[in-house]
Amino acid sequence: MSEHVTEWLSAYHDGALEERRLRQVKLHLLECEACRAALDTLQKLSALLQESPAPATLTRPDRFVAQVGLRLPRRQEQPPGKRALGLAWRLMPVGLLGAWVFSQTLFLVAKWLMWVWRTPVGGEYFAAILPVALPASFWAGVSQLADASLLDVGRLFLQPGVGWETFLQSAALILIGICYCSWLASWWAYRRHLQGRELKIEN
Amino acid sequence: MAVAEAERDLIVKAQDGDRGAFGDLVHLHRQGVVNVVYHMCGDGHLAEDAAQEAFIRAWKHLPKYKPYAPFRNWLYRIATNVARDVLRRERETVDVETLPLATAKAGPEASLVHAQRGERVRAAVLELPPASREALVLREYEGLSYQEIADTLDIPIGTVMSRLNYARKRLSEMLAPYLEEL
Repeated sequence: MSEHVTEWLSAYHDGALEERRLRQVKLHLLECEACRAALDTLQKLSALLQESPAPATLTRPDRFVAQVGLRLPRRQEQPPGKRALGLAWRLMPVGLLGAWVFSQTLFLVAKWLMWVWRTPVGGEYFAAILPVALPASFWAGVSQLADASLLDVGRLFLQPGVGWETFLQSAALILIGICYCSWLASWWAYRRHLQGRELKIEN
Repeated sequence: MAVAEAERDLIVKAQDGDRGAFGDLVHLHRQGVVNVVYHMCGDGHLAEDAAQEAFIRAWKHLPKYKPYAPFRNWLYRIATNVARDVLRRERETVDVETLPLATAKAGPEASLVHAQRGERVRAAVLELPPASREALVLREYEGLSYQEIADTLDIPIGTVMSRLNYARKRLSEMLAPYLEEL
């Protein structure tokens, strides 16, 4: 005979066993009289408990509802400023995503413009459409800046050959990442704080 | 489904401060909450007072209620906590063993044997430790699933199983003579 299933009988009686355990208990019950008797006791116990239901409420339902209504305290309204701040805080991830999309688009457009500007036709076109004629030294400076590597500028943080575009792009991404992580951390802390307060109050 | 949607509407309105909507919620869940508290503390009058207190606490914390769990289970959680408080408070002034017999109010047709049995069952349930009693009441009288009990009492399912096992084992011992009669 397989091992007794006493500890699972209660859950079996309540229909709360998962498939594998249920099969095991059913098979055992077929061959074990002691466990069948224990299950029978559980069923009788449930029937006995049902014989002792709660009494019908002494107060009429509408009166009960009215009494609760009279005892309800006034809710404190949140000031509109605080509500708007809360909404802005909740929408921050969307804002950050928007900022990321915007920066990526900006860099893409700038890159494309720079490429067009470097072509002979494009350069002439830009010179023609600009409202103010800029001195040649300005264009030379822009060109130098576009080609400059960070090594030329700072020789501090990045590898040689990394252009300004990459640097700015990475900086924007890191900044957005830091903002998101901070928001995530504060959200987590806020949730913990709320849960703690809720448990304390409900208790 | 329609009932659940209607209840959700009431909850949203009550969260916005609509007392009428909250009144409807009280009406819907009154009996369930009273039952839970009654089986926890064993007295009809106490149960009604405690149920009112549970609804008032629910009103205060309703803006923070998130519909991850059924509203009923959230209310039961508050109700079991209120019942614990009531028991703690009442233990200092009232002897729970001497509380009026609820089944005696059923009317003259209720037999003495039945009343005595009901009284013994009630006393046996009250003798259980509160933690096991809560699990038993939610399962036997309110028909909550193990998962719902776990969510309501904020305990793992394994703990629900062990508390129910313990409660039923103790009750089987205490009520053995009555179980043999059935």
